[in-house]
Amino acid sequence: MSIFTPTNQIRLTNVAVVRMKRAGKRFEIACYKNKVVGWRSGVEKDLDEVLQTHSVFVNVSKGQVAKKEDLISAFGTDDQTEICKQILTKGEVQVSDKERHTQLEQMFRDIATIVADKCVNPETKRPYTVILIERAMKDIHYSVKPNKSTKQQALEVIKQLKEKMKIERAHMRLRFILPVNEGKKLKEKLKPLIKVIESEDYGQQLDIVCLIDPGCFREIDELVKKETKGKGSLEVLSLKDVEEGDEKLE
Amino acid sequence: MVLNSLDKMIQLQKNTANIRNICVLAHVDHGEEEYLINLIDSPGHVDFSSEVSTAVRICDGCIIVVDAVEGVCPQTQAVLRQAWLENIRPVLVINKIDRLIVELKFTPQEAYSHLKNILEQINALTGALFTSKVLEERAERETESQVNPNSEQGEQVYDWSTGLEDTDDSHLYFSPDQGNVVFTSAIDGWGFGIEHFAEIYSQKIGIKKEVLLKTLWGDYYINTKAKKIMKVDQAKGKKPLFVQLILENIWSLYDAVLKKDKEKIDKIVTSLGLKIGAREARHSDPKVQINAICSQWLPISQAVLAMVCQKLPSPLDITAERVEKLMCAGSQTFDSLPPETQALKAAFMKCGSEDTAPVIIFVSKMFAVDAKALPQNKQRPLTQEEIAERHERARRRHAEKLAAAQGQAPLEPTQDGSALETSPQGEELKGDEQEVESETPKPVPQEGTDREAFIAFARVFSGVARRGKKIFVLGPKYSPLEFLQRVPLGFSAPLDDLPPVPHMACCTLENLYLLMGRELEDLEKVPPGNVLGIGGLQDFVLKSATLSTLPSCPPFIPLNFEATPIVRVAVEPKHPSEMPQLVRGMKLLNQADPCVQILIQETGEHVLVTAGEVHLQRCLDDLKERFAKIQISVSEPIIPFRETITKPPTVDMVNEEIGKQQKVAVIHQTKEDQNRIPEGIQVYSGGLITMTTPNKLATLSVRAMPLPEEVTQILEENSDVIRSMEQLISSLNEGKNTQMIHQKTQEKIWEFKGKLEQHLTGRKWRNTVDQIWSFGPRKCGPNILVNKSKDFQNSVWTGPDGKASKEASRYRDLGNSIVSGFQLATLSGPMCEEPLMGVCFVLEEWDLSKFEDQTASDKQNQEQSDLVKEGQGEGETCSGRDEHQDLQGGCSEPSEKKASQKGESSLTDCYGPFSGQLIATMKEACRYALQVKPQRLMAAMYTCDIMATSDVLGRVYAVLSKREGRVLQEEMKEGTDMFIIKAVLPVAESFGFADEIRKRTSGLASPQLIFSHWEIIPSDPFWVPTTEEEYLHFGEKADSENQARKYMNAVRKRKGLYVEEKIVEHAEKQRTLSKNK
Repeated sequence: MSIFTPTNQIRLTNVAVVRMKRAGKRFEIACYKNKVVGWRSGVEKDLDEVLQTHSVFVNVSKGQVAKKEDLISAFGTDDQTEICKQILTKGEVQVSDKERHTQLEQMFRDIATIVADKCVNPETKRPYTVILIERAMKDIHYSVKPNKSTKQQALEVIKQLKEKMKIERAHMRLRFILPVNEGKKLKEKLKPLIKVIESEDYGQQLDIVCLIDPGCFREIDELVKKETKGKGSLEVLSLKDVEEGDEKLE
Repeated sequence: MVLNSLDKMIQLQKNTANIRNICVLAHVDHGEEEYLINLIDSPGHVDFSSEVSTAVRICDGCIIVVDAVEGVCPQTQAVLRQAWLENIRPVLVINKIDRLIVELKFTPQEAYSHLKNILEQINALTGALFTSKVLEERAERETESQVNPNSEQGEQVYDWSTGLEDTDDSHLYFSPDQGNVVFTSAIDGWGFGIEHFAEIYSQKIGIKKEVLLKTLWGDYYINTKAKKIMKVDQAKGKKPLFVQLILENIWSLYDAVLKKDKEKIDKIVTSLGLKIGAREARHSDPKVQINAICSQWLPISQAVLAMVCQKLPSPLDITAERVEKLMCAGSQTFDSLPPETQALKAAFMKCGSEDTAPVIIFVSKMFAVDAKALPQNKQRPLTQEEIAERHERARRRHAEKLAAAQGQAPLEPTQDGSALETSPQGEELKGDEQEVESETPKPVPQEGTDREAFIAFARVFSGVARRGKKIFVLGPKYSPLEFLQRVPLGFSAPLDDLPPVPHMACCTLENLYLLMGRELEDLEKVPPGNVLGIGGLQDFVLKSATLSTLPSCPPFIPLNFEATPIVRVAVEPKHPSEMPQLVRGMKLLNQADPCVQILIQETGEHVLVTAGEVHLQRCLDDLKERFAKIQISVSEPIIPFRETITKPPTVDMVNEEIGKQQKVAVIHQTKEDQNRIPEGIQVYSGGLITMTTPNKLATLSVRAMPLPEEVTQILEENSDVIRSMEQLISSLNEGKNTQMIHQKTQEKIWEFKGKLEQHLTGRKWRNTVDQIWSFGPRKCGPNILVNKSKDFQNSVWTGPDGKASKEASRYRDLGNSIVSGFQLATLSGPMCEEPLMGVCFVLEEWDLSKFEDQTASDKQNQEQSDLVKEGQGEGETCSGRDEHQDLQGGCSEPSEKKASQKGESSLTDCYGPFSGQLIATMKEACRYALQVKPQRLMAAMYTCDIMATSDVLGRVYAVLSKREGRVLQEEMKEGTDMFIIKAVLPVAESFGFADEIRKRTSGLASPQLIFSHWEIIPSDPFWVPTTEEEYLHFGEKADSENQARKYMNAVRKRKGLYVEEKIVEHAEKQRTLSKNK
């Protein structure tokens, strides 16, 4: 048994541990903080910038290095660097502060961008800018949930923002072409889903152009398909009904 | 010299000859006559030169003030030019002479040569303006004579003179002996023109005043023995008269006072015959003493105002030249105006105040005043009688009260109350203090309390402006010709019944004001030649307008703005709910400021365009405190980009041919390629992408190709043609064949098609034009979707052809989905979600056979769809932010609903409606097709016109090149030393450009930015060094970040997209959080 000599002990600082269980054993590697996510996304290409040391541990904080036979039984090789790479890509990661921060910030922006993209100021029919939405989100103290998709959260945000400011989802413009006899019946059913009917034309066929809330699209689509048994058709004229072009204020 | 009563002022206004419009009103006794001077002060900063422009228009003359120490500054040039362009007569004041004495310690001789220098500089500027004008006129004459072949040949040959010799310009220059220069020191309260001293010395030394006037300025000296004035010979060391007789006296006075030489001061004071108060004489500060002495000896106001009265013209002396110039907008000549209009010239010249004279008023700007400050909303001071009456009333009340207290018969309280109500406020109660006099404010309209009232700053050029007069408001684009055509000559119906004429409105002059500094006084009528304020015009006039009783009056030429709005910022309210207030405030600001522009951009941004940083600051303050009254935040405006693709480059970044080099970093390259294209998508040679919908029923093959530059341009220009085409097709699709196609539109469409065919030549583009399916984004953008599949026959041209395709409707529906996918793909590109430009997508094949089979068999066999579904374990390949997913996921109703409908709708399976899948697949296919090609960013470019003098040319170039600008051409303006530089500058680099260029050139260069076009940024945003040479040149990490990448990452960051950036650059350099144990 070796004598405990603190002088030749190498202490690791700034460690982020990546763990993996394989063949009933736990393996750990010591990485630098804020670097593992970068490696996984392919931004960081230099392995030495990620790994503190190329050796594979059983327990990083205790400094217990994994035995060679365990490595061979678990990974089929004793090339430490290779194993490190495997663990890096597949193991569980501790997300460091900066990584978490950038991730949340990115999601926050993403949500704001989606909201700005989907919504308009109902008075002017013009979109709000992303910065304004971001500020509004901060005003309502919206906190980003990292495990939910940004799109879902964006829809949630829109609901909450409606209480604070004049914001509305940009309407979708649709055209229905329906057979006349079924059309009248169907129109009554569609009515609650439609926001504004822009034009109606009873010719050989019933032709309706209208604005709807994009949330109702699927429902309307199914309704039309079901009621007319495929004879009626539905056409998306524009996904967003917004003012286009620049306007000079006078 | 004292401000007299209002009545006097009104009286004076009537005498047009004694008005000097140069907005502080001052009434001046000068000699025998009394003058009315309208003095308009204008700020000196470049950013506010628009204020100068508005003031100059309604003036007859101007005082240009020059600092004696600093001499001619760029702003002096600008002001001189403006005065010149408006044809108004300038006089010069050289101020701060005391600094020459006290600070610079010049001797009188040095000071003289310094002053002479300044004068020469200014005269040189005037001369340059004059010569450039003469040369321009000459050039015009020449072009005219070329048009006119009748002119004699001989004359042409001999006409070598520039025309300068023939034109007399002596009256233009500033010279003390002409009396249009005054030397002053405003801080010490003195100033003099030469005339003043000429008078003194003509008595003293007995030389005629006229002689002295001519010789006091210039190189003359006096021979005291001979009492003669001789030409100076510098060698003899003789001092010029100006030094000897004038400057030396002033110098010795300053000398005495500063040295506190009591005796000498007394001597000077007594010799000048002045009386200095004991307090000033004892004062320890020499400045006070100088001020006391000088303001009596050489009062500044007298010197300046005397010059104004003598030298500046009255409204009566308006030159014919100026009148013609004012009346002829643009390149029109006076002769081309209708005769009725030409007749008005006489009215201008006459400036008549009879009631028959036509009223012509020019509104040069609108300014906002707090509604409370308007005279009608203000309380007037009480007259003597009123005060006496109130005393009486109060005393009576007091007596009554006493009587009531003594238990005598009560008096009617109602009477007392009514008396209270009618009594105006502001009375100081002398009577009983307990008597509570309720303040009865004058009835102010409710909404008027916090509103801004706009007052038009205007001048009457002819006729009498009376309250309640009906008058036409003529906008800048109004043309009297149009009116005369529309309205019969003898039309005499009431003004309200006039047929509508564009840019003309009719209104009543409601309130006329006299502008007295910040105060406004109500007026009943304003005679010609006066400056006035007009209330109640805000609904008719935006910024400036011409008012006239005669519709034949032309609108005045637009104001010459020396500075154009150039600094752009985006403005937003701090609290998002305050948007309406901001919009209202910005509208008011737009009206109140002559030189501000406000845009609402497609992105929803409100952009404020101002002349400079200082101007911007003032606009923001106004917005915050007056017009919107909300907190606002200001940021850089969002810069738009476009995405496109190019042909693969043939040379790499170090100009070596690609292909011959050994790739060093092949590993990186391949890794990235794999990243970009996920599995399940086949990439064939030439960038052909094949993709299948998630339910494996349809397969699309798409290829992306760059469009030639000219084609992109044609598409940009013809977006409205494309739009009308689109409308046509959609109406045809509905079966409304009856609708007639307008002949003109059809011609336009064929012309457009012809142009496209002309440019899309070569093997690659064969038949492409006929196969165009759609344009995008928004169905009218600069990208093309081409369908090259065999059974395609539904191109955009079928609509205008008139033969509606009788294609099976099942294809039409699916086709619509594919077009929608293309529209989405072109709306946001893969690089940073910006719209595409100049890309052609070719749909090579579309295999919908499986889908057809299924729909056919579906009717009989319900289970098949379930089988198909089971076979598809794979998830959707498309990721992230597409509109389509929203259609599917955004509203995903509970799945049981779907299950219940399973039987009915065969087209809907677990991937959502089939049309939606097709949209998503098409969109993704387009994106990948783009990604396999070399992608480039396109930047919006400004063309930048810069006027600069030759000595700052180098610095202008430095600023331009620092901001990635490119100089296109530079040429010299004839007759001046100004250069005109034309350059292009990326919009992304323009923030702060105006400020920087002004700072670096000390204001001698003034840029002007106009959006011109889109330009491809040559560098590849995804570039990394690959060849050995590139490694040598750039290093492994390519230290200098390339421009396109920088822009791309900035946009991605702003939008919250994933940016390929390391969170921490160097792992080892992070702060150690745990201590060494």
